[in-house]
Amino acid sequence: MKKTIVTFVISALIVASLALWALKGQIAGNTQEIVMAGIVLVLVGFAVTLGVSRLRSHLRREPGEDELSRMVMIRASSLAYYVSIYMWLFVMYISDKTTLAAHSLVGAGILGMAVIFLFCWLGVKIFGMKNA
Amino acid sequence: MHNRIKQLRAKQDLSQLELAQHVGVRRETIVFLEKGKYNPSLRLAHDIAKCFRLPIEEVFLFDGEVGEKPGE
Repeated sequence: MKKTIVTFVISALIVASLALWALKGQIAGNTQEIVMAGIVLVLVGFAVTLGVSRLRSHLRREPGEDELSRMVMIRASSLAYYVSIYMWLFVMYISDKTTLAAHSLVGAGILGMAVIFLFCWLGVKIFGMKNA
Repeated sequence: MHNRIKQLRAKQDLSQLELAQHVGVRRETIVFLEKGKYNPSLRLAHDIAKCFRLPIEEVFLFDGEVGEKPGE
């Protein structure tokens, strides 16, 4: 239950930060910022979905986490780490060819890692772990 | 690896949720096991077999054993 509450609190804080960012007017009209805000919202949605799933398990008196959910996380994390190495190689390659500032590239890379993790998690959930 | 969880559950009139609560996992884990998307740990396989009051080899079958009678 503690993990679920932490997930919801962190998600709420991120949404609040995004709202402040939007209120300051830094998002409107800037395509790059809009895309970043959109990706962050998708990731927050993913975290909230996980939180709701844990909450529903808690209400059904099931454990919030069991061996399958732990294995899914471990498999998705290792797969995401492996793919992320290639993403960072790509970021290094394009860093010379783009006018984007270094901090923007690093920010995009970190967001990219989160998106890769999301896709790996979805892949593991959809295709399962027959050979685990 | 294949398993007979779905048939045994139907035979004993157990729902996925009831089986999950018996062995202390989430219902989703039982769904994954029945679909053959996940091979359980030895501990979970043992608990499931115990729940059905059967030896492990009658619940979980390796690929070559499908269609054979347990113990053959």
